[in-house]
Amino acid sequence: MKKIYFVVIALLMVFMTNAQETQESKKLATLPSVDIKTLDGKLFNTKDIANDGKPVIISLWATWCKPCVAELMAIADVYDDWVTETGVKLYAVSIDDSKTSARVAPFVNGKSWSFEVLLDQNWDFKRAMNVADIPFLCVLNGKGEIVWQHTSYAPGSEEEIYAVVKKLVEENK
Amino acid sequence: MKPFLSFGRISIVFVFAAFCFLNSAKAQLFLGNGKISGDFGFNGMYYIPDSLIGAEEVAGKVRANTFLNLLYTNGGITAGVRYEFYSYPLIDFEKIGYQGQGLTYYFADYKNDFLQVTAGTFYEQFGNGLSFRAYEDRQLGVDNSLLGTRIKVTPYKGIVIKGVWGIERKNFDFDYTKRNDYIRGIDAEIALAELIPGMADKGFTTTFGGSFVSKYEKSTEDYYFVIHPDVDSLTATATIPADKIPQNVATWAARFNFGYKGFRLETEYAQKINDPNVTNQYIYKDGQALFFSATYSTKGLGVSASFIRADNMDFRSQRGEKNNSLLSINYIPAINRQYAYQLLGNYSYASQPNGQIGAQFQLNYQIPKKSKLGGKYGTDITLNYSRFHTLNYDTVLLAVENGTMSGTEGYSSSFFGCGKDLLYQDIGIEISRRFDKKWKLILAYNYIIYNMEILQGHGGLFHGHNVAADLTWKITNKHALRLEAQHLYSKDDLGSWIYAMLEYSISPRWFFSVGDQWNYGNAESAQRIHYYNIAASYIIKTTRLSLSYGKTREGILCVGGVCRAVPASNGVTLSVTTSF
Repeated sequence: MKKIYFVVIALLMVFMTNAQETQESKKLATLPSVDIKTLDGKLFNTKDIANDGKPVIISLWATWCKPCVAELMAIADVYDDWVTETGVKLYAVSIDDSKTSARVAPFVNGKSWSFEVLLDQNWDFKRAMNVADIPFLCVLNGKGEIVWQHTSYAPGSEEEIYAVVKKLVEENK
Repeated sequence: MKPFLSFGRISIVFVFAAFCFLNSAKAQLFLGNGKISGDFGFNGMYYIPDSLIGAEEVAGKVRANTFLNLLYTNGGITAGVRYEFYSYPLIDFEKIGYQGQGLTYYFADYKNDFLQVTAGTFYEQFGNGLSFRAYEDRQLGVDNSLLGTRIKVTPYKGIVIKGVWGIERKNFDFDYTKRNDYIRGIDAEIALAELIPGMADKGFTTTFGGSFVSKYEKSTEDYYFVIHPDVDSLTATATIPADKIPQNVATWAARFNFGYKGFRLETEYAQKINDPNVTNQYIYKDGQALFFSATYSTKGLGVSASFIRADNMDFRSQRGEKNNSLLSINYIPAINRQYAYQLLGNYSYASQPNGQIGAQFQLNYQIPKKSKLGGKYGTDITLNYSRFHTLNYDTVLLAVENGTMSGTEGYSSSFFGCGKDLLYQDIGIEISRRFDKKWKLILAYNYIIYNMEILQGHGGLFHGHNVAADLTWKITNKHALRLEAQHLYSKDDLGSWIYAMLEYSISPRWFFSVGDQWNYGNAESAQRIHYYNIAASYIIKTTRLSLSYGKTREGILCVGGVCRAVPASNGVTLSVTTSF
């Protein structure tokens, strides 16, 4: 048992040392490098998620997750306006496994969503992002740094997301 | 003999390495460029016994599941560790044996464009998982990670070769010196569209892949079984001697994916040889699995047809293990549509790796936006049909004579034949429509047939009609009310149920809800129980706090076609999750 406490305390120390470090330098995290797939089965490295220097929204979702679908539907209704006004791009990373992953494309098209859709079948990206529960959403600035993260969905929270994106675009002007 | 792979030794080495690394002169610089992230979860419950619903007294009254993940990333290097404290876990986890504590996950990984190497614990999947899938599902208490090494090579863009070698996790049993089993596997995938210039431009994608996975398990004990168990005068004991039980069991799989514009086809076939085990009653027959899916989609329309056949494909690290997904090496997906409706939860189909044949069809269509029928925002319609059967098989003569399949080839099955037993059927329609900025409605109807006898081990066929409505009223930009109502009509099992839940949310921070499931149609009037629940949650960025009080009925919890039993419970639940 003693060994275990030792291990836990040591790890917390490691973590805290770093927490101070990041506070000093105020460095923002970027995306991890994880190989996931595109809808047509090609490998895609998550480091390549980008939008020509404009903001990016990443949503982790699944076809079986009701609040995730509700959130993406709410965004889909206003997405055209968001793109026109800010040039933002949304990547919807599905964590559906082989049980339902083949039906992600028909699902997305059946809802006329125009997001970039990626497949994280064995949750490698979800783990690398330390996501405990979906829906999970984050916003990246033009440099690919994660500036905002949020978990769960309540009707109306899409407006908060858009406020973050707009602020990024205005700061960049 | 001193254990080589002892848990204590590994963790000490790991922490020592971390310390050295931090205390070295370069540590500051190194850490400065690196990043530590993590997530934490606590899910605790205070149990109150309730004899009416069958909620037993829980030793200690308060139980909790806790874990902490830490990840360190610096350029191509990633290292991670997870500590789980499940010594006094939630009662449903205790029931499936997921109890204990320790460092359950620790690894170091280096990755560049050509190579990725991992040492320690890892998750991995080959193809659709028919031959190999090491994965986790925290909600279910499934963690089939491997402790060992993994190598991934990308010799040329479009070609990926993976090799894995390791021992599979068995709940909190970390004494690897006592383990006599390990897994090794190799997988290769070639994406032609990336190799042949111009192919992708014409809209074609083609991928080929193949894998070979082998399990070694020492065979030291003879297997005893009873012949003619039903005929008293003939009953005798027979033996499969230890040296006749294969120590190496192999599964190979081949897959092919093809896509052209909106059309896409995916297929994988797997074969397993030499695997007498407790789930198949120690038969020597080969196992097979075939997965096939064809989809077509274009803006506003998506159609899909999928097929799965699995025969004797339960593949585990230990031949004596049969509980849930414990020590499963592969993953046979159940391809039916998965629902989030409360009342259908207890009748969710569970994949049957040892014998199932089934198909699923789905149509997703959007009545266009701004059309007369579609309304301003369009109306989404989903139609769905799925049906699963047992296999059509003939028991071999010797097995008939013996009155048991053990020690024989077992049976022969026709590849595309359906057995007489229906396992599951679902016909469903779902309509989702937003009326204006304030109102949104989802309506769904399902007719379900569920074989309780085979899938849960008691009862007959369950037939149920389920109607669900989900109405959202966005009162202002931040305040919203959501009503979820459901009615499950049935004459089988526990009869009819009604469910209603009202949720009030203040975006993005607060959720409050009250709900009740009422088994009003139970044949016994004393069993017409209300299972009510009240909950509040508070969310700040990636931290979620939630407090609830309520009753949970006895039943099953299924995620992705994998299910586990859930005992009845009553009490107060507090959960905290955060990621940083």
